[in-house]
Amino acid sequence: MSALNEDTTHSSVSLITPEPLIKRFPFPFHEDSYRYSNNSRQLESGLCLEVTPEYEEEVEEKRALLKENHMKCYQSFSHTIEAQWEVLDMIIHELAEVYPDYFSIEKQGDQWTFSNHLLKEQYSFTFGAENTLPAEPLDFIGRHVQEDLVIVSQRDQDLYMDAGQVCFPANWSLVFDVGMTFTEWHSPVPVFSDKLAAKVRDFLMRMEAGKPWTRYNWTLTVEHVLPTFAEDFDLWAPKKDKVTKENIGELVHLRVEDQRLFRLPKSNSILFSIHSHLISLKELAENQVWLEHFRNIIDDLPEYIAEYKGFSEYKPLLSEWLTDTLQKQVEQGGNV
Amino acid sequence: MQTKSLQVLVNRIEDETTNVKSFTLKSLKGERLPGFSPGSHITTNIHYKGEKLERHYSIACDPSVSNQYVLGIRKSETSRGGSEGWHQMIKEGDLLEISYPKNHFPLSFRARKHLFFAAGIGITPFIEMMFYLKKKGIDFDLHYAAKSKELCPFYQLITENFPDQSHFYFSSSNRKMFPQLMKDQPIGTHVYFCGPESMVKQFAAYAQSAGYPQGNIHFELFSPPDMGPASPFNVKLLKSKKEIHVCEKDTLLDVLLREGIDAPYSCKVGGCGSCLLEVADGIVDHRDQFLTEKEKENLQVILPCVSRAKSANLMLDL
Repeated sequence: MSALNEDTTHSSVSLITPEPLIKRFPFPFHEDSYRYSNNSRQLESGLCLEVTPEYEEEVEEKRALLKENHMKCYQSFSHTIEAQWEVLDMIIHELAEVYPDYFSIEKQGDQWTFSNHLLKEQYSFTFGAENTLPAEPLDFIGRHVQEDLVIVSQRDQDLYMDAGQVCFPANWSLVFDVGMTFTEWHSPVPVFSDKLAAKVRDFLMRMEAGKPWTRYNWTLTVEHVLPTFAEDFDLWAPKKDKVTKENIGELVHLRVEDQRLFRLPKSNSILFSIHSHLISLKELAENQVWLEHFRNIIDDLPEYIAEYKGFSEYKPLLSEWLTDTLQKQVEQGGNV
Repeated sequence: MQTKSLQVLVNRIEDETTNVKSFTLKSLKGERLPGFSPGSHITTNIHYKGEKLERHYSIACDPSVSNQYVLGIRKSETSRGGSEGWHQMIKEGDLLEISYPKNHFPLSFRARKHLFFAAGIGITPFIEMMFYLKKKGIDFDLHYAAKSKELCPFYQLITENFPDQSHFYFSSSNRKMFPQLMKDQPIGTHVYFCGPESMVKQFAAYAQSAGYPQGNIHFELFSPPDMGPASPFNVKLLKSKKEIHVCEKDTLLDVLLREGIDAPYSCKVGGCGSCLLEVADGIVDHRDQFLTEKEKENLQVILPCVSRAKSANLMLDL
């Protein structure tokens, strides 16, 4: 994948106005209790992507991961190529339309020139001709967005994970899951797998183009680590042992996946885009309403969910920290 | 980015036969239309004689040609307004609002061979499928019944593009299309039917008796099947704390929508499953083609666009 004609001398992203994370974090909870459910909502904006102030560092990290171990981050079946072009088409047009200062597209028939002004890169290619791109269409366009992208094919009354560029998985493995059906790749999720997975699959199979859906998923991650591959469990999981009452606020991060789902009308596939956001508990605590919601969620959370999400070891510590921090804020006269 | 609906221009209207017209819809200047997968249809809304008429039409053209959808619409003798409105009112140059292409009749991915059976205007979804398969070099055959060559919609287009795969059965020349054509096909053949309910039922029953697995049998209906007389029933809505009455003439979905309940739906003929609702209590009179017999027995759900109640009351968690 060395053929990417990148300009390595690009300047930093000065075009994106940095707003504090606490002001724009997608906090996923509006109630005081969390269980697995089909928590999809209609995506009113119809948009698949979001460019945040972390754009440059995250895209750089994605590209480094793809370079270091390509097959770990990218998998595809050859029958997804048409769906991949459809994804590239959709993403390029959305980027150019929503962020005209950052991206542009010029077209002369099938001759397309795509410019990424944030990274000062330009690519010319023939739409539909794979050999004119430096990588497969999904692999190419994924290198210009912060989102992980997964193509789910609908074939013969089932859904299959048939292609993906995934650099920031929350403890799962693309290599392991690719080619599986929806219920197969969800089989490790307790309760969800036997009670809900088939229903959610049927819901997704009825999804229509023009009516995209969105949902949040969440977990906790120790340290600001986006790439938590199941394959690298030995690298990131032991960090949990370092968590103490003193450092938990800085070390533990709420990890929220902003997932968006689109029916692709030309290939009849489904595109999953996943934008992962991390915020430390300490920063999250700056919003007292969120802090209180999160404390209540954690205190109400059944053990099987904490176990599956991988924080049952430090759940008592977490609960204590959230309660103490909230109490301190209340005593100091509120911090809302 | 996806918007909620699409704007199109009626670019060309042609007479295919004396009672079938084709409507070529194109994108507005400078805009693009989404592509579509073989088997797709669009939902159209037209206002005719003071009524808003929602209709679904398959896209009868080559999916590899961008920015256009062709609809083949037969003026039905028993038109409830939709096809009559299209034939009488829609003119070249009109602007229409339509849905994105949706596919409730997709091609099988694993089929080794596709065998299509069409009657009359039921040909439309097979046109998009055949263009797609021919381009991919995948094996298929079309068996197509119509009254006569003159009354056979898209006859010329089919004979020009698919001369080796198409077989015609005109009742004017006493050639009848028999389901026995499904016999002696290679393993991995999938069969598809589109036409009037009686034809679809006959062919689907034959396919089953000939040993085709359920997953290899595909069909699309234009209108809900006739399931016998409809009785009135009452429905209690738990969440909205309402009690509604569904009379013989109405469907449950009609009444829900009229009551302002935000109920999902799409095809309205019991084929797509979009309107599926959980039933808290009561016995359902299943009249849809979406749920399997097993699901109808085991699941407490209803497709309110066609299904009704066997018990006097139903309770829904809505």
